[in-house]
Amino acid sequence: MEDTKKNILEIKNMHTYFYTDSGVVKSVDGVDIELKQGSTLGIVGESGSGKSVTALSVMGLLMGTTGKVTEGEILLDGKDIVHVSEEQRRKLRGGKVSMIFQEPMTSLNPVMRIGDQLMEAILLHQKVSKKEAEEKAITMLKETGLPRVERLMKEYPFQLSGGQRQRVMIAMALVCKPEILIADEPTTALDVTIQAQILDLMNRLKKETGTSILFITHDLGVVAETCDEVVVMYCGRVVEKGSVYDIFARPSHPYTEGLLGSIPKLGVHVEELDSIPGNVPNPKYMPKGCKFAPRCKYATDQCQETEPEFYDLGNGHLSKCFRCAGSENKKGVE
Amino acid sequence: MSKTLLKVEGVKQYYPVSTGLMGKTAYVKAVDGVDFEVEEGEVFGIVGESGCGKSTLGKSICKLIEPTAGKIWLDGEEIAGYSNRQMQAVRKKIQMVFQDPYASLNPRMSVRDIIAEPLIIHGLASTKEDIDKRVIELLRAVGLDDYHANRYPHEFSGGQRQRIGIARALAVNPKLIIADEPVSALDVSIQSQVLNLMNQLKKEFNLTYIFVAHDLSVVEHISDRVGVMYLGNFVEVGDKYSLYQRPMHPYTQALLSAVPVPDPTAKRERIILEGNIPSALNPPTGCKFHTRCPKCMEICKQTAPEKYQVGENHFVYCHLYDSDEAKMKASAAEETIVRE
Repeated sequence: MEDTKKNILEIKNMHTYFYTDSGVVKSVDGVDIELKQGSTLGIVGESGSGKSVTALSVMGLLMGTTGKVTEGEILLDGKDIVHVSEEQRRKLRGGKVSMIFQEPMTSLNPVMRIGDQLMEAILLHQKVSKKEAEEKAITMLKETGLPRVERLMKEYPFQLSGGQRQRVMIAMALVCKPEILIADEPTTALDVTIQAQILDLMNRLKKETGTSILFITHDLGVVAETCDEVVVMYCGRVVEKGSVYDIFARPSHPYTEGLLGSIPKLGVHVEELDSIPGNVPNPKYMPKGCKFAPRCKYATDQCQETEPEFYDLGNGHLSKCFRCAGSENKKGVE
Repeated sequence: MSKTLLKVEGVKQYYPVSTGLMGKTAYVKAVDGVDFEVEEGEVFGIVGESGCGKSTLGKSICKLIEPTAGKIWLDGEEIAGYSNRQMQAVRKKIQMVFQDPYASLNPRMSVRDIIAEPLIIHGLASTKEDIDKRVIELLRAVGLDDYHANRYPHEFSGGQRQRIGIARALAVNPKLIIADEPVSALDVSIQSQVLNLMNQLKKEFNLTYIFVAHDLSVVEHISDRVGVMYLGNFVEVGDKYSLYQRPMHPYTQALLSAVPVPDPTAKRERIILEGNIPSALNPPTGCKFHTRCPKCMEICKQTAPEKYQVGENHFVYCHLYDSDEAKMKASAAEETIVRE
């Protein structure tokens, strides 16, 4: 049923490399991601898996770093956005695509009033008067459930709590009615009760505005509660993707399986947690075959030598693991 | 029969802040009169949101900060009044593991020196051979290799650093380890490695833990008993089965309902709390939770609730359990708890 929706964002075979003094770091190394209109796609992975770099590449926020999208395409509504001028990029950013970050304190300007920061975004992207922009800003802030909005417009970020700042960020990101919202760990710095408020807000606004969301997080609980589809990343690659139900009920990549086994679950008592041995490999010394092979309990000689391609398990569920050979499409029939 | 290893009574930790008004001093009541006991061999978990005082409480207990008031008995010895010099002997029994494995290891010391330092200070090993032997033993105990001894902290990943921090705490053969958010800076796959290690070491070395964390699932996994803190006080303390299956305090209920569950098919009623935690500088009167409590009554605004027993090993600080009737109900509910 989901398949009928068109893809609003397509990332095709994207490679993002960083050219450092000590060599090339391949942060994202061939990633394909499709975001369907009106849905929420979760990108999960541990630190260093390349999930944030993927987001920054889409936003075109790699300038000022040594990073570059060296290969592949990013299609927004079918149009390539990698090879366009900085001017056009700027128009997209905050207009069609916007982003909220993990640290609401560091991503708001500390010496600018909340109201001015919001109005800046509106005036930049829409042809409206200052008065109209102010009205829009106030309406948007109210939408996010912030209290005493009129006074808050005149306040500075330090006067707000973490949860309130994240609401301001969300208001700022959504005020121009973007088609895509990229949320990079938006609730990681927040307490659980505040996290619940913010997730609730994001889900509600998504329904109201129809914005598609790319949700980057390491928290599988958050993924299960907010996402329709999931992409699991490891070492700059997508290792498994599919609907949230398939990923959680039938994880087919050993890394996904390991991640799910690693988290303690409320009300489930186990003596020992399944854990993934070892560490994420240093990007400068990547293993030759499957990048997960050194930590994988099922690894064979084949895994050490060759990197697996995607196996199609049906219903859009894809997995990059040799163990899936032979079980293709069977699961989709159920 | 296990015996009480740690008893804490009325511990308060106030931080003075100058308000600037006529030179008046106000106090941030980070920990505001806390009582609890920890038995030998158990894991006591302390959960709460940021600013609830859980980390401060951990530090007050091992006197890294001098408690403003209260009594602390460790192994029958009252240590709250001890001087730093007297504490030195006590610290052999009580050690801490910190949250940030990047900040809690001296970057200029090799791993050997980091682990050897407590051995030398407490006179547990004197010759170089003894020290080296013990360091290797400890490294192996936490799942590191012998050759790691000569390396420096920056050469290790977060999970490995946390293992070094644990090895350092283990060096003096402590009875009690206070672990302050030991896994919250780690990725999930590494987090589970460290949690499994802590469980295994507990059995091997007969340890008792106080495990301070904000992650309710992690605390449930590792703890035997759990205390939930809000604004400097416990609101509920109980054995983990009872507390997680039948949370009695409205705050605990909201907190548990807010935890995202890694199961997309799970349907749950979520209690969304309004607003933020009030400032500890000026906490609400009566029950400190009343400003956000969905079940707030008139009495809650005026009087702080007492401790009510709602199960065999389950206590709650809430006026809802004031009446005999409520207590009866609660203890009937207690019988439905599944203990694995």
